[in-house]
Amino acid sequence: MINGNYFLINVTLLTIGTVIIRGCFIALSAKVKISGQIKELFTYIPAAIFPALIIPTTFFHQGTVEWLQGKERFVILIACSLVCYFIRSTLFVITLGLILLYLVRVI
Amino acid sequence: MKHFKMGVHSVLPIISGIIPFGAVVGSAFAEAHLSFWQAVLMNTFLYAGAAQLATTELMTMNAAIVVVVATGLIINLRFLLYSAAMSPYLQDASPLIKFLCAFSLTDQSYAAMSGNHDKFTTNQEATSFYLGTAACMMVTWHLSVMAGFIFGNFAPAALSLDYAIPLSFVALLIPTLRNKNHKIVALFSSIISLFFFGLPLKTGLMVTSLLSITLAWIIIQRKRKT
Repeated sequence: MINGNYFLINVTLLTIGTVIIRGCFIALSAKVKISGQIKELFTYIPAAIFPALIIPTTFFHQGTVEWLQGKERFVILIACSLVCYFIRSTLFVITLGLILLYLVRVI
Repeated sequence: MKHFKMGVHSVLPIISGIIPFGAVVGSAFAEAHLSFWQAVLMNTFLYAGAAQLATTELMTMNAAIVVVVATGLIINLRFLLYSAAMSPYLQDASPLIKFLCAFSLTDQSYAAMSGNHDKFTTNQEATSFYLGTAACMMVTWHLSVMAGFIFGNFAPAALSLDYAIPLSFVALLIPTLRNKNHKIVALFSSIISLFFFGLPLKTGLMVTSLLSITLAWIIIQRKRKT
């Protein structure tokens, strides 16, 4: 059971901090002129962050398929990435990945 | 309204990954014996799944406030980069719109935005699209967390729906890899993320992101010189 005041202090501080993190650049957007180089740098943000969200969670996942050394999620992720390169549909990639994972486990 | 609807449609496929994650967060709230209003409060104001999950766990262990807050904020630091990337679109927006966009900033909304940036001719269209993604994400997130809180983790384990989250990020990432340099940065981030994954307080994500952004900066500078 979490103490009420303790919970409230934590959530308040986390909320204030997160709003500042999320809003600082947006709030200053009218005052700060962004150079072409910085704008170009922004195009690299997905390439810099998303692999760090994707790769460790799939690579270190404790899988169950023996012949893939328990790395079935990682293997399927690579296959889906290749497919996604040609068929750029989010729904298709998610569906394909989930079906492949299900089939690999069943087989 | 057209771009708002486009925004909603762009995140609809991702929902399959959000619902099970929301259910996990909701059931973690229930296991931590949060009251219904505490769960609503945290979910509404913090609105950041990974940070909510990590800080709830720390609070159940009665961790020091500084540890709980630092952990949550470090996990959320990536929003700083999203905020910077979103700022050019919001230069002319009203303070209310700026606040709404900042408050609703998530990985998925930002990813949808960056993957569709070439479809907008004005900042207003981009903002409208973004608000569409954010509205859809917010409604889905709150409903799934509350469902998880009330009914427990209802997603069938056999379907591995949690796997839809990394898959959705792949689908959102690939279209943003426009040239060789973007691919180099993505590959670099993929490799070093494995080495930094075990860092304490989940700082691996931020360290990987900052090193990868630094590499991108070096690439841009080199390109400029040649």
